[in-house]
Amino acid sequence: MMARFYVGVGALALWAGLAQADGHQPFAVGEGDFTWDSYTEFAEKYDLTGQTVEITGPWTGNEKEKVDKAFSYFASATGATVNYSGSDSFEQDIVISARSGSAPNLAVFPQPGLAADLASQGLLTPLPDGTADWIRDNYAAGQSWVDLGTYADADGVDQMYGIFYRVDVKSLVWYSPIAFDESGYDIPETMEELKELTDLIVEDGGTPWCIGLGSGAATGWPATDWVEEMMLRTQSPEDYDAWVSNEMKFDDPKVVAAMEEFGYFALNDAYVDGGASAVANTDFRDSPSGLFSIPPRCYMHRQASFIPAFFPEGTVLGEDVDFFYFPAYAEKDLGKPVLGAGTVFAITNPSEATNAFIEFLKTPIAHELWMAQGGFLTPHAGVNTDTYLEDSLRAQGDILLNATTFRFDGSDLMPGEIGAGAFWSGMVDYTTGAPAAEVAKGIQDRWDAIQ
Amino acid sequence: MDNIAGTKSSLGWAVNISVVFLVVLWLIPTVGLLVSSFRDRDQITATGWWLSPFAVEQNYQVSIPAEEARNDGEFFVIEGNIFSGGEGEVLRFGGRRAAPTEYAAGETADLRRDRTLTLQANGDFVYRNPEEITRDPNIYYSTATPPSFSLDNYRTILFSNNMDVAFINTFTVTIPATIIPILIAAFAAYALAWMDFRGRGFLIAMVVGLLVVPLQLALVPLLQLHNQVGIGQSFLGIWLAHTGFGLPLAIYLLRNYMVGLPRDIIESAKVDGATDFQVFTKIVLPLSFPALASFAIFQFLWVWNDLLVAKVFLPSTAESWVMTVKIADDLLGSRGGDWGILAGAAFISIAVPLVVFFTMQRYLVRGLLAGSVK
Repeated sequence: MMARFYVGVGALALWAGLAQADGHQPFAVGEGDFTWDSYTEFAEKYDLTGQTVEITGPWTGNEKEKVDKAFSYFASATGATVNYSGSDSFEQDIVISARSGSAPNLAVFPQPGLAADLASQGLLTPLPDGTADWIRDNYAAGQSWVDLGTYADADGVDQMYGIFYRVDVKSLVWYSPIAFDESGYDIPETMEELKELTDLIVEDGGTPWCIGLGSGAATGWPATDWVEEMMLRTQSPEDYDAWVSNEMKFDDPKVVAAMEEFGYFALNDAYVDGGASAVANTDFRDSPSGLFSIPPRCYMHRQASFIPAFFPEGTVLGEDVDFFYFPAYAEKDLGKPVLGAGTVFAITNPSEATNAFIEFLKTPIAHELWMAQGGFLTPHAGVNTDTYLEDSLRAQGDILLNATTFRFDGSDLMPGEIGAGAFWSGMVDYTTGAPAAEVAKGIQDRWDAIQ
Repeated sequence: MDNIAGTKSSLGWAVNISVVFLVVLWLIPTVGLLVSSFRDRDQITATGWWLSPFAVEQNYQVSIPAEEARNDGEFFVIEGNIFSGGEGEVLRFGGRRAAPTEYAAGETADLRRDRTLTLQANGDFVYRNPEEITRDPNIYYSTATPPSFSLDNYRTILFSNNMDVAFINTFTVTIPATIIPILIAAFAAYALAWMDFRGRGFLIAMVVGLLVVPLQLALVPLLQLHNQVGIGQSFLGIWLAHTGFGLPLAIYLLRNYMVGLPRDIIESAKVDGATDFQVFTKIVLPLSFPALASFAIFQFLWVWNDLLVAKVFLPSTAESWVMTVKIADDLLGSRGGDWGILAGAAFISIAVPLVVFFTMQRYLVRGLLAGSVK
């Protein structure tokens, strides 16, 4: 048993060594605005030569390259090797490997709901003692991040399992400043103004919105974000929490009303590029392309902070495209709610090096190394925000900080069967013509069935 | 048909036409994929592949530099050519993104706030503004883009990191995972076809029953077993997994073929004193070659194209990716809309199966009839 383990580690170390030879560290230690103190302090504390940390997560392609670069500093600080592999079907893969006993050391969950599922089956290991206190003290709105990382274990006892690394702001509307300027449109400050602008664009002969729900097996999820945004803008945060935990039923009139608020935009042929029937068929990755076509196929696109990865090559943020906060109703007095999401690290196979890696995630440098490569927001309060690659990222970070209410993506918190199943398909049904009340009833029935 | 006296069908041409029609119909998606694999992402979104040989009228935007404005007394004027260095032909133009083709080349456009813009077909423009120009104005124009094809997609795929490793890995998985089940299945098929023992019928029924069990059911328990016996996630593990998943079909196919071999040959060999092993190696195996070859093709294609089993039974490091995983997780990964890459990758990954298929297809046709005619 032991011999096999060493052979395995040796082989992995060899592979990792090869992989590391390919990736260059983009930032020299000690240079730039980075908090290098935290790096050297960390490096002095740990010597893990010969050990390996295996990590799997949902980041693939060019995001994987960024991750590899950021994590390579853990390797150079401790002498351990880090082996990150991304998968397009992470949600299925991690369940298979955890259940069959071949889990990696760490898994990066895009949905806390899935992590909670695995925790309740006893497949996750709680984070080292004191992590919860540290997060409470060092993350902006720390308690909410602690709550989002705390799940019941196999015996039903709440434990701290997850530490968030990389968050997304969802409440953004992307638009083309040039198109807005030429047509004389102003950025709406309230939901009422947004609706007026929508009508004004239609009067001018344009199409205001691009909405696409297609996403392979996950088709429908962008609509769940819309409904969550509308829920936060029409009901109190307490109602939102009650909805997410199903204390408020899914077919409650308040939820149905929020779905119909989404329908106000998505089900109007004049408001959406391609007409309402195109909404469910358009891939979410292709849907923002309408902003960039000449003439524009649409003027606005509501999507999270990660969407610039899918803009056409050469697009300059701030010039060709920009964003504004998806506004709230002035009359409802619910403040400025912000919806967000994030990826959470959890231990699936504990080791000394794994605990050291969790310590690494607490250092500001671990966050700055990805901030400087773009496409990364962090709730870590100790980072130097000068290291953000672009001003627009800093502005998104500000939206996060200025939020009067921050709520996590509800569908990611619901049980997988609902949040990554019935809710998605229900929204596809809704956009293709089913009445909101009927769809909501169907989702609630599924929820009743699993309880 | 010609050699059958007096029966030359008068409908021969109809048969030919329908065959051609069906072949074309079946090939259309493949041709579309092939054409798309040579086009870049922008072109694919602009027009369908069937329009790719023709020039496309596309709209463009260009910013003209505000700092080059001069004051001629009445107006602030910018003059120049929108095609920097290169040549081009403007078809139509406009001053607003919402109406990029309002005016024909050579006309003078009246823009808002008394601004005017003239754009000639050769790209020369004159922009007049009664007030000082503070921001770079935009000109929108349409021009015919000639069709362009390139090997860029193939270059991206072939020269991406670890592609060679993935290619070799796929062979490392596929070849043993094709040979091992054939070896086992040939013995089993002979036994089930020609050796008399109790429970033979029941065993055959079991094998047929296994054909309908979805392999997804076995993933987790099988990997658990591999971990317990110490194989873990490894090439040995995936060979065994593919062997197990392929065996029911292999045994069933070969057994049905072998049962159809003439009884006389086998019985006379036995009368002459041949053992079962001798009958198997000297008579049955050579005669079953078409069935063996056809199953080999089936199994090869299935293992080559497999994504799921490879993801479960191989480690998830880049060094043990097979081609399908490399394409799905690394090349496409977070760029789901990159159709050019997808099409190119599809053609690269089907190259080897095509070679296998064409070199062995004469056996495939014979083998498809395996066991169906007595």
